[in-house]
Amino acid sequence: MKSWHRYAMTLVGGLAVGLGAAWAITGRGLSDGQIVNGPWTTSLGYGTKATDPVTRAAVARAGLLALPAKETVYWSAKSDAAGAPLDGNCRYSLSGAPLDARWWSVTLYDAAGYLVANDAKIWSVNGANVALDDKGQWRVAIAPDRPASGAWLPGTKGQVFHLTLRMYNPGGGFRADPAKAVLPRIVKEGC
Amino acid sequence: MRNWLGPVVFGLIVAVATACAAIAAIPYGLMNVAIDRLGQGGINRMAYGNLANPDRQPVVRPSPDLAYSSCPYDLSAGPLAIDVAPVPGRYSSLSIFDAATDVIFVRNDLEAAGKPYRIIVAREGQAVPAGAETVRTDHDRGIALVRLLLKDPSEIGQLDAARRQSSCAMVTKLK
Repeated sequence: MKSWHRYAMTLVGGLAVGLGAAWAITGRGLSDGQIVNGPWTTSLGYGTKATDPVTRAAVARAGLLALPAKETVYWSAKSDAAGAPLDGNCRYSLSGAPLDARWWSVTLYDAAGYLVANDAKIWSVNGANVALDDKGQWRVAIAPDRPASGAWLPGTKGQVFHLTLRMYNPGGGFRADPAKAVLPRIVKEGC
Repeated sequence: MRNWLGPVVFGLIVAVATACAAIAAIPYGLMNVAIDRLGQGGINRMAYGNLANPDRQPVVRPSPDLAYSSCPYDLSAGPLAIDVAPVPGRYSSLSIFDAATDVIFVRNDLEAAGKPYRIIVAREGQAVPAGAETVRTDHDRGIALVRLLLKDPSEIGQLDAARRQSSCAMVTKLK
């Protein structure tokens, strides 16, 4: 083998390893400022002027055009209260008290972060369209089929799903300690 | 084996350099894609996008509760003027993202006291109208985004005219 053959091989290998590493390093979401609250996680690093290239690339991949935390806090859930992945074939109860924000919504996405077609054309619930019971709580059923009564967020038959909770202009009490804020509960009721 | 020492060191250097270059390029690449997708109405003009649904998702995690109006811009020929008209009693905001995806400006309807306002986006050194509120940026390209919250998607019918009061255009007059 000639010397330049060896260099050509390691050149190609180096390019491939470098590209793969760049994609892997920036694909884990944001580790800076990561906050965990039950099944919900967020990072207060969205929408800020990134201080290093890795954070900037990770934000661009996970939340391009996202707003800073003062404006909107984006929570993401991939599992239920028991820690099991959210399964589109199962029925869940999503419930809670009105959130400490000017406005809030919960949207259901596939694992890649995109909306999934459903006949009802419902992809989200928000603070203006959920009803409160006499204890001041709201409740939404996440299920592949429409429940007999109550609010419904269609599940994704045959695939897992993720939830994004958006809080617009979160309140001062919330911002003081987001990890302790009371967020919606996600409880599996059956499959 | 000694024959491989040089090539392997070379390969490692290539790998590190490639990773650094790719990480630096990712935000610009993704922003270019977003500008192209959102800019089908043209550059330096506001596009009043339809609500997100499974067939229309120009960016990852679009919110179906928001009416997004977007102004992909290019300052290479001069500054941009953005006029925003908040809709009474509604959350709305203007946010401006540069080509590196950094947020360079955010204002919501409460901060604007519900009143219409104009923002000029300009490179350092570009002349802007006297007294205009100006955001300076290091990049020619970017996206200005106006979000308007809907209580229900059906509201877009009655609010569409109101959101079309917001617009953007190249600055042509300095007075």
